[in-house]
Amino acid sequence: MSLARISKLALAAALVALPATGWAQSVNISYLTHWSPETVALLEAAAKDFSTTHPNVAVTVRAVPFGDLLTTLRSQGGSSDGPTIGGIYDLWLPELARDKLVAPAPDAVANEVKSAWPAGVVSAASVGGTLYGIPNEIDVYALNYNKELFKKAGIAAPPKTWAEFKDAAAKLTDKDKGQQGFGMINSWAAGVVHPFASLLVSNGGNLVKDGKPALDSPQAGETFALYEDLIKSGVSNPAMATADANTTGPFLDNFVSGKTGMIIMANWWESALKTGMGDKFSQVATAPIPVGPSGDKPHSISYSWMTVVNAKAGEAEQKAAWEFLAWLNSPKSGKNGASAMSDILMSMGILPSRTSDIEAHKDKLGSEFLSGYVSVLADARPFPVVLGGQEFSESLQQTLEALQYGQVSAKDAQANAQADATSILERAAK
Amino acid sequence: MAKAFRASAGIMLAPAVTLIGVFVLLPMLLTIWLSFQDWSTQTPFSEASFVGLGNFHEIFGPTSVGRDFKTALLNTAIYTALSVVLILPLSVVFGLLVYQREVAGGTALRTVLFSTYMVPMIAVALVWSKLYAPSEGPLNQLLGLVGIGPQPWLSSPRSALISIVLLNVWQQVGYFTVLAIAGLTQIPGSLYEAATLDGANGREQFRFITLPLLRRTLLFSAVIAIINAVQVFEPVALITQGGPVGSSNVLTYHIRRVGIERAQGGLGSAMAVMLMLSLIVCVSALFAFVNRKDSE
Repeated sequence: MSLARISKLALAAALVALPATGWAQSVNISYLTHWSPETVALLEAAAKDFSTTHPNVAVTVRAVPFGDLLTTLRSQGGSSDGPTIGGIYDLWLPELARDKLVAPAPDAVANEVKSAWPAGVVSAASVGGTLYGIPNEIDVYALNYNKELFKKAGIAAPPKTWAEFKDAAAKLTDKDKGQQGFGMINSWAAGVVHPFASLLVSNGGNLVKDGKPALDSPQAGETFALYEDLIKSGVSNPAMATADANTTGPFLDNFVSGKTGMIIMANWWESALKTGMGDKFSQVATAPIPVGPSGDKPHSISYSWMTVVNAKAGEAEQKAAWEFLAWLNSPKSGKNGASAMSDILMSMGILPSRTSDIEAHKDKLGSEFLSGYVSVLADARPFPVVLGGQEFSESLQQTLEALQYGQVSAKDAQANAQADATSILERAAK
Repeated sequence: MAKAFRASAGIMLAPAVTLIGVFVLLPMLLTIWLSFQDWSTQTPFSEASFVGLGNFHEIFGPTSVGRDFKTALLNTAIYTALSVVLILPLSVVFGLLVYQREVAGGTALRTVLFSTYMVPMIAVALVWSKLYAPSEGPLNQLLGLVGIGPQPWLSSPRSALISIVLLNVWQQVGYFTVLAIAGLTQIPGSLYEAATLDGANGREQFRFITLPLLRRTLLFSAVIAIINAVQVFEPVALITQGGPVGSSNVLTYHIRRVGIERAQGGLGSAMAVMLMLSLIVCVSALFAFVNRKDSE
């Protein structure tokens, strides 16, 4: 065989082997989250477990503050070098899907999710019937109260109605001690809007109905009036309300130091409360949202989070990302039939949404703090996931803050909120 | 000869002009073009659709988009005016104090003043958000010692923006003091000697010698202070996120929210164009004012 012939054969063999060599090469995927360093360490440990069975896939985790998460996804997600996986809030999904920043889930993943998660959670991770993400956490709002302050004020049980709620807030207020009955939040959109929305749905109202804003309803009017009452009567002090999504600031400080009697907050708040209160965490109890005069029973607002895959990432990266996410959220990856994702979430006091995960964590979900949240989950109303939802939320935040600071009356706040929401949702739908 | 000179000047200027054109003028022109388009920042420029003055109509309109923009524009104007009004006189005062060479510790004081300018904003934000804390914050505790009740600082729409201005003044005044000292060194000592012989007291010397001869330095300081203040972003993003009730929402932070977070590139560009125009008008007016004074 001549040298030329041998060279040609070698070249042909190399060309044939090239694609296989390409697949065997390692695939690097990155995971963008807003979790704390302790939680990121748990995710990194799970990624390490995954790499024992998938040695060709390397997962790196990157964390940014919650306030920068959407901006990072928007500014870097449009590139193949951006994060391969992102943890997102369901409210952001419609616009990310419209802008083709997130990839639809492969059929196998979609079928698994549809069979293993509750239908409401699946729908929040879908747009136009197409599933875009694997849901992981679900958050719901409830009334948190300080049992010690209740005892001192002579209040025997948490309020069940708005009348009892206002009465309890008045009894818990002691201006000389700098103590307020009910703590509102400002300076953080979801923190402002979700407690208001929980009171609204417990009064038989809705933020959005059939895709249109419903803030002009009598039920919404009563909820705006409740806020005005709480502020005017002095049982809620807006100067004690500043907060951000990293749970820092006066809102947290005042509740953990026993200067706020009641708040409405979500279950993920548990880890911040434990850190802030230490042994005094046992003083915190959870109760359903008080029912308004037009409501039938306690409801609250729920929202979910999911992990999505960058639509601009390469084919191999997308495939590896879906494999990693399917494993991370499967009962095979965690302890005692739970998913590794649910173990990570439970370390923060966050409720997992996969049906088998709820079963696997039954004992911990029965704790005094979390059981109050689990009990209200069945009657919770999902926060409306619509195009323009984030802008709608920020606009309502401005209106509610203006009401908190006495810049507008309840009546004007209601009219402004409805007008703004109508214009925002109409523009987004174009 | 003149032709050859023009050609060689053109060749020598070409690299700099090209770089400025590509990296400064082109983005500015692109922003102006985008301000007339309906465009999502997540889509290619080819998907932008012409809307004429629609974006400008929207940002000055009665809806939440217009209200938020006008509030942010006003907040930026207040922030800028307060910053300049506080920083410039303070920098002259500190400059005069530090420039006294015979005063012991003058160099140390100069170093301390300038050091605040070198501290990263993230560290400043962390420290000042704690200083301003309503109950356990040192500022309120100090006020309590002199019988003044606790102030809401960042927690009130009335004081949040002013609190951010104070933080800015604290951080920037050292830099402007150094500029003032540089200006003072340019004033010949013989003028003061002559004035002293003529019987002028310190106040008169300041009014008729120092201040007029510092005019150029102060103009430069004012322009830099205005540009710095208009571009404020970090303290708002790190401490108040524009709240409460949008009272500390400044234009750069708002443009980031609209243009990047909400991906409304057309609206964001229209806001950026308005910011640019406002800055050009302010700086031009300042130059015109000083030039008129000079010619008088």
